[in-house]
Amino acid sequence: MIIRSSSQVPRATLLKRFPVPKNFGLSEGSRIQRGRTWPAPAGARRTKTLQIYRYDPDADKTPRLDTFEVDLDDCGPMVLDALIWIKDKVDSTLTFRRSCREGVCGSCAMNMDGTNWLACTRSISDLGTPATIYPLANMRIIKDLVPDLTHVFAQYEMIEPWLKSHTPTPERERRQSVAERQQLDGYYECILCFCCTSGCPSHWWNGDRFLGPAALLQAWRWLADSRDEATEERLDKLEDPFRLYRCHTILNCTRTCPKGLNPGKAIAEEKKAILARRS
Amino acid sequence: MSRSRPLSPNIQIYRPQLTSVLSIANRITGVVLGLGGFGLVAWLVAAALGPQPYAAVQSAFISWPGQVLLVGFTFAFFLHLCGGIRHLVWDSGRGFELGSIYASGWAVVAASVVLTAATWVASAVLGG
Amino acid sequence: MDRERMGSPLARAIGLGSAKSGVEHWWAERVSAVALVPLTLWFVASTIAHIRSDHAGFVAWLRGFPTMVLMILLLLALFHHTALGLQVVIEDYVHSGLKLPAVVAVRLLCFAVAAAGILATLKIAWG
Repeated sequence: MIIRSSSQVPRATLLKRFPVPKNFGLSEGSRIQRGRTWPAPAGARRTKTLQIYRYDPDADKTPRLDTFEVDLDDCGPMVLDALIWIKDKVDSTLTFRRSCREGVCGSCAMNMDGTNWLACTRSISDLGTPATIYPLANMRIIKDLVPDLTHVFAQYEMIEPWLKSHTPTPERERRQSVAERQQLDGYYECILCFCCTSGCPSHWWNGDRFLGPAALLQAWRWLADSRDEATEERLDKLEDPFRLYRCHTILNCTRTCPKGLNPGKAIAEEKKAILARRS
Repeated sequence: MSRSRPLSPNIQIYRPQLTSVLSIANRITGVVLGLGGFGLVAWLVAAALGPQPYAAVQSAFISWPGQVLLVGFTFAFFLHLCGGIRHLVWDSGRGFELGSIYASGWAVVAASVVLTAATWVASAVLGG
Repeated sequence: MDRERMGSPLARAIGLGSAKSGVEHWWAERVSAVALVPLTLWFVASTIAHIRSDHAGFVAWLRGFPTMVLMILLLLALFHHTALGLQVVIEDYVHSGLKLPAVVAVRLLCFAVAAAGILATLKIAWG
């Protein structure tokens, strides 16, 4: 009942989804149809059923949900292993992003059993039966589980995630005390997987203007950096009823971060800083 | 081919969690309380107009559908009050660790139930 | 792809630029919330205490100067907080041209109802 770490998988819940119709509010081109079923190979003893969102821009008019039965004795323990097994043994057109397979690159972020996480660090055994695998929520889909991250990266670019200083470059390093460096802990580790932004209801309804937890966490990373000298302009750029203040402290972001970071806290610090500079 | 890309489902598939459920509950109770504010003014205006309009409003409150609504309204009030205090604590920068978020969330639910029950027991005892 | 808008993703993210304000609304919502904690609790407690009262009893209670002041403060804080909260709700969910008229209507309605409540309180207390 008390979740202490975001890596705790949600167990039994009253509701698996909000009580809205299955294709509620989705435009015609986004509504999900039933897709193919791919049975387990003959002789497979331990299997897991995965329902996976599919969309082929060349062939499909609308997305569909395919059902795969995975042979657990033939693939690794993580969801990414299952996806690779499917691509290798069953349907080679299954498309997804992946790279490091150890939870540090952020490529394989997707929605599994209703929550966003990295496929390479989510155990298959933690999923329900049947398990549902969707792409990151509220994203334009290029193909299958591959979202178009152009807009969220543009929002990241907008907060100017680089050191801005007016004093001339020192001859050696820009000095920073241990305590000052510690101010960056919990913020610099972000891998830009966008699980948080994709799980934020405020970003669902106002994602065109609300920056979302990922960009706002990184904005705080630069505000908190003692070497940065553009604090005033950064706060000016953030102080906007939509860019920052669409955050209503829903905290889905902190709940879902696969790196255990705390975007909600970073945003609260930004709001405090904006208040502090005028009071 | 100029078909626009489909949008992946959001609220249709995202798992309800204590975080999002309590947040939307705070918003829904807030809107309900806003309507209650109009009800409060209706009550005051009725009292200002005289004993008959006041008695008419009172009888609506005392009727059993009115009582059911008032119980629901009291629960909405305490949920929004406790949820609001939880928000004020967050605004001070505290309480953001996941353990605290969940503990304070369940505390809000429990406190709202207890306070609603206490209010109605007290009013039953005092009012008869 | 034939698209209507051909601005860069960055340009679209920037939009019209930062308003460079927004904290006033946020702060006012918090200040009115803090005021509402004691005021609403006072109101609930008073309602329970006076549950048996008829019209005459209600009027006598409201005629007390502290009661009158607290009731007016409650109405001011309540409708200020309500107006701010409802504005945020409308901005969140309404994105068409209906948004601005809806915000204006809600603000004016809250002001009008608050005024009616305050005047009713004064009439009961002094009338």
